[in-house]
Amino acid sequence: MRVLVVDDSATMRNIIKRGLGTLNVTTVSEASDGVQGLNQFKGGTFDLVLSDWNMPNMDGLQFLKEVRQLDSKIPFIMVTTEGERARVVSAIEAGVSDYLVKPFTVDALKAKLEKWVSVPT
Amino acid sequence: MTTTTRPVSELTAAIVNPLMSATNDVFSMMLGCKPTRNGLSLKSNLVPSHDLSAVIGVTGKAVGTIVFSVARETAFAIVDRMLGMEVTEINTEVRDAVGEVTNMIAGAAKAKLESLNLSISIPNIVSGVGHEVHYPTGIVPICLSFQSEIGPFSVEAGFSPVG
Repeated sequence: MRVLVVDDSATMRNIIKRGLGTLNVTTVSEASDGVQGLNQFKGGTFDLVLSDWNMPNMDGLQFLKEVRQLDSKIPFIMVTTEGERARVVSAIEAGVSDYLVKPFTVDALKAKLEKWVSVPT
Repeated sequence: MTTTTRPVSELTAAIVNPLMSATNDVFSMMLGCKPTRNGLSLKSNLVPSHDLSAVIGVTGKAVGTIVFSVARETAFAIVDRMLGMEVTEINTEVRDAVGEVTNMIAGAAKAKLESLNLSISIPNIVSGVGHEVHYPTGIVPICLSFQSEIGPFSVEAGFSPVG
């Protein structure tokens, strides 16, 4: 299981990585904006993408659209403060697979990850 | 901080409850503690309540600024709670963690004001005793002061309508 985590906050990337670690997922690549994320996505092979929305250079919605041009099926979870209905609808229209609104509890993060992570046996 | 005679805008007043609710949510979910508000006042100076501040600009059908200001010890405790990391100086980890807490407070507050179609900026971090934060001209900001088991902090905000 290879996961790409894109967030301009290293703190949030670490929280998500710790959540993935509890599910024994340790192959995690990181990027701090959509441009870096897209470069990593093009240069690697991933099974799951988690991305923030508000980031410099390229935001998460545009990053999602770019990823969907390349891969229509990879699970893409938006992890963001953008909880308004109109924003969620925009993400759904762009092809988001799931949505986690910040702030979240540890349990909510774990439940969301468990839904999409295939735990190594 | 003293009370000003200038009126606070209706929009600034309208953001008080969303900011309170958002702050409580972020502290309880991400930091495992419940803050207590111990003050609500209008600001008449440019100096935030504490030595480290994260500043987020808000645009949309209103413009304004949200400031999350923390004591050094509160900032260190935030890093400890979010990352399990002990820090004793304001470094990259402290600035990032405080910025992310601010991002979540501002984001959760704006989500409760959906009709204003607000967007928030990336947080800027300012530190140092007596640092100043300048609000858009004519805006009288409010200051919500809190105490918590990880130390004191404040959330300050000022808004005005566009057009």
